[in-house]
Amino acid sequence: MSPLPQPRETPTNTPMLAAWRQEGALALQRCDDCGAVIFYPRTVCPHCWSPRLEWFRAAGTGRIVSFSRIHRGLPDVFQAEAPIVLAEIALTEGVLMIARVVTPAPDTVASGMAVRLVAPEDAARFPLPTFRPA
Amino acid sequence: MLPSNIGIIGYGSSVYEKQATRTELGYFADAARAALMSADVRKNEVDGISVSSTTLQPDNAVTTAESFALSVRWAGVSNAGGAGALVNVLDAVLAVATARARYVLCLAGAAQDSGFFRDRISRFTGSIADYLAPHGFGGTNGLFGIIQRKHMETFGTTRAQLGRIAVDQRANARMNEAALLRGPMSLNDYLHAPIVADPLGLFDCVMPCAGAEAILVGPLDRVPPGKGVRVLAGRERHNHPVGEVSPLRGGWELFRDELFAEASHEPDAMDFVQAYDDYPIMVAIQLEDLSFCPKGEIGRFLEGHHMTWDGSFPLNTGGGQLSCGQTGGGGGMIGLTEAVRQLRGEGGARQVPGAKRGLVSGYGMVAYGHGLSASALVLETA
Repeated sequence: MSPLPQPRETPTNTPMLAAWRQEGALALQRCDDCGAVIFYPRTVCPHCWSPRLEWFRAAGTGRIVSFSRIHRGLPDVFQAEAPIVLAEIALTEGVLMIARVVTPAPDTVASGMAVRLVAPEDAARFPLPTFRPA
Repeated sequence: MLPSNIGIIGYGSSVYEKQATRTELGYFADAARAALMSADVRKNEVDGISVSSTTLQPDNAVTTAESFALSVRWAGVSNAGGAGALVNVLDAVLAVATARARYVLCLAGAAQDSGFFRDRISRFTGSIADYLAPHGFGGTNGLFGIIQRKHMETFGTTRAQLGRIAVDQRANARMNEAALLRGPMSLNDYLHAPIVADPLGLFDCVMPCAGAEAILVGPLDRVPPGKGVRVLAGRERHNHPVGEVSPLRGGWELFRDELFAEASHEPDAMDFVQAYDDYPIMVAIQLEDLSFCPKGEIGRFLEGHHMTWDGSFPLNTGGGQLSCGQTGGGGGMIGLTEAVRQLRGEGGARQVPGAKRGLVSGYGMVAYGHGLSASALVLETA
């Protein structure tokens, strides 16, 4: 098991975590009633309060809206990997998420940059869906 | 409309400490004692209590009453983080107005230090614990780094412009013996400080500390003229804008017009502003949302003003959290106690000349990407 902090596994987020851990894929929810795409995982649609949420495979692509390179103040288990790039990402499906972007050249990260999920064989290193420059 | 005969009649602050030497209650007691003394109200006259604290759980306002041997008729607790203390005081005014209580003691603070905070922020809300902390999000610094970069890239705001907030607040802190950070700071110092969460540097990031603030609400005729403070208007807003992750606004813009209309004063009639300052970028966003300048123009506004206590736009006149430290939920009240100090003419070496009216704003409850809660009060010497 990775020493990194892990999300609590709940019935609500298990499909997302399983898709990531087993296939390196990004699973999102879509509301069957109003059609909204949702991240992070919910038990009811925050827009129309419907409980009818369906999981689907996202493309795993998006663009960086804004980001921060975090150098200091990280938990010890992350410090060796500093700077960590944390980005607001607009997914191709139209929903916003905050996720880590890994790259050997963090100085080249820029707003507007296209990103996609890390290679499936690298997914196990990261507790949550993680991106790289596309 | 709020009642004109009820308001803030006392205030107090505990010491601020980098390492907690006592529990929350120890800091609350210091602040509360000072608040009662400043109003000349006795402990057993207090019959209402509210608490805003990020570290008090599982205790609350009622158990705090038990700890202080207070029998109360009204008890309130905040759920709005750094926006909550102002809401508590607004609610206390209404509690007295409706005879639920006569003297309400409003407390805010925390017993914490940087190490405690670093651990706790990773569990601050469920969405942080499950969907941010596993990324190595660096506390809230990374989230506000994202917001600041967006403001810089959207509007052309620069670090040198935002740095004027931190630098002028430090100048204010140098007149405040209670502030933990009182060393001189130039804009050059600010710009060349170690980078924490690019584009945030060390002096952009508030330092968690231990301490507390207290406000006493009651009938204004209990204190001499000039020693009471009337709440002319107050508003709160939560979870705005819906669905955004790193917004450049926070909800103040939705209520600012009715806030100033109810107060019967325009923004330029404020003698000072005490804004919630966990990061200069959030001070900047508050000032824009509250219409001290148009959205996106804060950079030029800051260049055109001095934010020192004796400057053209007195801001966080005691040094704010950026120089005093952030006492958890007390960070949402430090601007209010400083405002009351100023409006009573008790600002000492940092007294804003002739201060009779001011605005205090709050911000907090960081969840997935940003703080969910905004609040503000307009105050006037009674």
